[in-house]
Amino acid sequence: MGETKSEILQGTLDLMVLQTLEAMGPLHGYGIARRIEQISEDALQLNQGTIYAALLRLQQRRWISASWGTSDNNRKAKFYAITRAGRRQLAEETANWSRIAGVIGRLLRLSER
Amino acid sequence: MRTCFWTLLSRVRGTFLSTRLDDDFDREVGEHLALLTADNIRRGMTPDDARRAALMRFGGPMQIKEQQHDDRGLHFIETTLQDVRYALRSIVKYRAFSIVAIATLAIGIGAATSMFTVVRAVLLRPLPFAEPDRLVEISETNPLKGWTHTVSAPANFADWRARNSVFTDIAGYNGVDDRGASLFQRVLTVNDEPSQVNGVATTGNLFDVLGVRPLLGRTFTWDETFDGKDRVLVLAYGTWRNLLGGDPNIIGRDVLLSGRSMTVIGVMPRDFFFPNRSAQFWSPMGVQLDLFVKTRRPHFMNTVARLKRGVSLAQARDQMTRIASDLEHEYADTNTKMGVRLEPLHDIMVTDARPTILMLFGAVAVLFLIVCANIASLQLGRGASRMREIAVRRALGAGRARLVRQLLTESLVLSILGALLGVALATLTPSVLLRAAPSALPLFATPQIDVPVLLFAAALAIAAPIVFGLVPAMSSSRFDRLAERTESGSRQTTRARDVLVAFEVALSVILVVGSMLLIRSLLRLQQVDPGFSPEHVVTFKVTLPRIKYPKSADQARVFTDIEERLRSTAGVQAVGAASALALRGYTYTSDATPEGRTGDDYERETRFNAVTPDYFKAIGVRLLFGRSLTERDTRGSKVIQVNEALARKYFGSSDVVGKRLKGGRPSDDDPWVTIVGVVADVKQDGLDKATRPEVYMPYAASVQNPATFAVRSTIDASSIASSARQTVRALDRDVLLTDVTTLDNLVRDSMGDERFRTTLLGAFAAVALFLAALGIYGVLSYFVSQRSRELGIRLTLGARRSTLFALVIGQGVRPVVAGAIVGLIGALALTSVMQSLLFGVQPMDPPTYAIALALLGTIAVTACAVPALRATRVDPLVALRDE
Repeated sequence: MGETKSEILQGTLDLMVLQTLEAMGPLHGYGIARRIEQISEDALQLNQGTIYAALLRLQQRRWISASWGTSDNNRKAKFYAITRAGRRQLAEETANWSRIAGVIGRLLRLSER
Repeated sequence: MRTCFWTLLSRVRGTFLSTRLDDDFDREVGEHLALLTADNIRRGMTPDDARRAALMRFGGPMQIKEQQHDDRGLHFIETTLQDVRYALRSIVKYRAFSIVAIATLAIGIGAATSMFTVVRAVLLRPLPFAEPDRLVEISETNPLKGWTHTVSAPANFADWRARNSVFTDIAGYNGVDDRGASLFQRVLTVNDEPSQVNGVATTGNLFDVLGVRPLLGRTFTWDETFDGKDRVLVLAYGTWRNLLGGDPNIIGRDVLLSGRSMTVIGVMPRDFFFPNRSAQFWSPMGVQLDLFVKTRRPHFMNTVARLKRGVSLAQARDQMTRIASDLEHEYADTNTKMGVRLEPLHDIMVTDARPTILMLFGAVAVLFLIVCANIASLQLGRGASRMREIAVRRALGAGRARLVRQLLTESLVLSILGALLGVALATLTPSVLLRAAPSALPLFATPQIDVPVLLFAAALAIAAPIVFGLVPAMSSSRFDRLAERTESGSRQTTRARDVLVAFEVALSVILVVGSMLLIRSLLRLQQVDPGFSPEHVVTFKVTLPRIKYPKSADQARVFTDIEERLRSTAGVQAVGAASALALRGYTYTSDATPEGRTGDDYERETRFNAVTPDYFKAIGVRLLFGRSLTERDTRGSKVIQVNEALARKYFGSSDVVGKRLKGGRPSDDDPWVTIVGVVADVKQDGLDKATRPEVYMPYAASVQNPATFAVRSTIDASSIASSARQTVRALDRDVLLTDVTTLDNLVRDSMGDERFRTTLLGAFAAVALFLAALGIYGVLSYFVSQRSRELGIRLTLGARRSTLFALVIGQGVRPVVAGAIVGLIGALALTSVMQSLLFGVQPMDPPTYAIALALLGTIAVTACAVPALRATRVDPLVALRDE
């Protein structure tokens, strides 16, 4: 397993999608996938299709909303936007994430010693 | 929580919009791929490469679409809907099977639901009074008189009321015997239109003890119990509606009740019945105050008491027993050995009905199982013919669990259709039962289809497929490959069906034995000699308004007048009257002392009846010894007749003409009366009850109002009835003529309960037998059709047709014999609980079992014979060509 491509957790992908929409405003599926790849500097190579599972999940929970619109190159595309509930969730998850990351980081450093 | 809700909502939406959303997503994926491809081209790929790379990057659009589809909707519901659609299609396709299955399920579930309606109304639902579990009935017991549950004496009732500290109050209402209240009849005259109504005479506190508020007006006060304040009336809802036109200003209005002006003070709610459905009004007892002080004999009050909160029935029993024993000491002459019995009111009200209802409910449970077994057996037979279809589906990748689920769904759909039909049938129960079931249904209860009943039916609808669908589904889904569609598979199926048939037969045997026992009981009951000859006798009751005829002499004159006028009617052979007609209980009982007894040696329960000279001639009772009473026998002549039961019990021989006895005890100074005749025993309380010692006094010596007349004639009953009506009306319009019937009807009605349960159980047994026969027939037909090739070969090789016939019959008889044995054992175990419903037959009655087996055998052989005959008619050529 020489590749550095990491398996990403389901919840993590959801969180990345929410953050992306929060930062970039409404985007279509392809835009979100591209953005996540760029940010991760291609360390994360996901099958772009899997983004749709996350989008559906978030939609079902009413954390994002979807509507048909027109893309930059004048084509019809479905745009996703974060909702108020989504922002709340994002804030919560972010806090959660940094706490856990902190704990794990400390734990790993501890066991390195 | 909230997110769960939104997800579910969205999924439900997804399920129903699945096609539109699928298209939507197709477009979205298309766009995504187009953008990705365009990017790739911009990076310098050729369009083909760009497209291929895009697809790889995206990762299997088809899978993702499938995934998306499943995630979006409710997978479970979607496949279930699919299964239901499929099931409906297959129900239509296998029409014959479906009709049989749905019809039998409708019978099974309908019968069970109907009986549950009754069980719920009578046994499960609390009485429709406030906190009904605190209501208790108090009755008196006395081992010396053979009383185990008898109405109480007014003064005892008053002392219980005064001395106890366990009840909030005790109320009383008039009653005569241990079968509950006796309603009395009155004529209610509204706008000069007289109608006959049944009433209950109560103490003023009855409604307070029951805790029921009136719909309109008020109920009685305690003071209104007594003479002088008793001209008040509470009406039942139905009476108010039907006889008084639902007059909203009824309260305070005066109505005429048998010539007496009464003020209506209250109307009860629509669902209030007490003590039973026949009570149309309530009026105070209207007694003198000292009745409750002095009268410890006779006993004529039913009581209902309300336990104080926190007092248990056992505590109440303790205290009441103590009070009764105090009374025993204080009033030794009347209360010796007089005890009390306290039972929950509900128990008392359902005592008579409980065994019948439980037996019938057990029977419908058995019938339901038979129905399930029968459908399972049919399913198995069909499973075999569907094996090809199932094997194909299996080959195409359907999982076994999925197949089982699919087959179960099919069963469930069948069973729901059957249940719907069954519930429709069951909705007829309340009205049919109220009409058809005499006292099998306590009259306070209203059977109705309500939510619990529907839930019960739904539970059956769900249980049924588990019982009848699972076995066949498991066994059908086992056929993995097409190759298995052969001998071993069908042999397994055959064995399963044999077991099911045996099961059906066993259950049917139980029902058949049970119903045979009841039928034989009923036959025995019909053979009982009632002691009179009921043919061609019309009877009716005449009540004289007390206000017009206050004196005994006046009453006697009217009754004699009626007798004489009827006697002169053409075709009339004899006319008589009695205070208590045969099979109609008794007027009153009292102590009696046969001559020669002293001290404590006397008879404590003698029935007294007053009869006119021709009464015995009219109802056809044999005179055994001595003479009949005549018009010359009056109060002064001091003569009586007695029945044989009395003669034997009190004097030890039948011929007791010339012996004397007196009312009361040896120490009492009642006058001695001489026995001038002994008549044969007449059944008093029912054909199944022993005749009690009874004294017949000349009517003139002891006038009782009302009197029941009996007219023996050569002409038909209806014209006798109408001339009786004319006679009475001509005499006085205010005289009440009721209860017109024939002695034949009276005898038949006395067996109403028995006939009702016999008919029902018999019907259940007949259906069970029919289903078992259907099962046997189905299995054998299948056997013959499977083996037709083999049978053909055997025939070609010279087998005799009779051999084949025997072979098939033998195949069919095996499960029947096995089932019959199991069923007999089950019947022996179960029918013992029917003991209390039987008369003159033991639960282990050998002829019953013999008849049941013979019946079953005949039906089984008939069911076998048809397929067996078909086997012998197999045309070898056709059979061989079949493959």
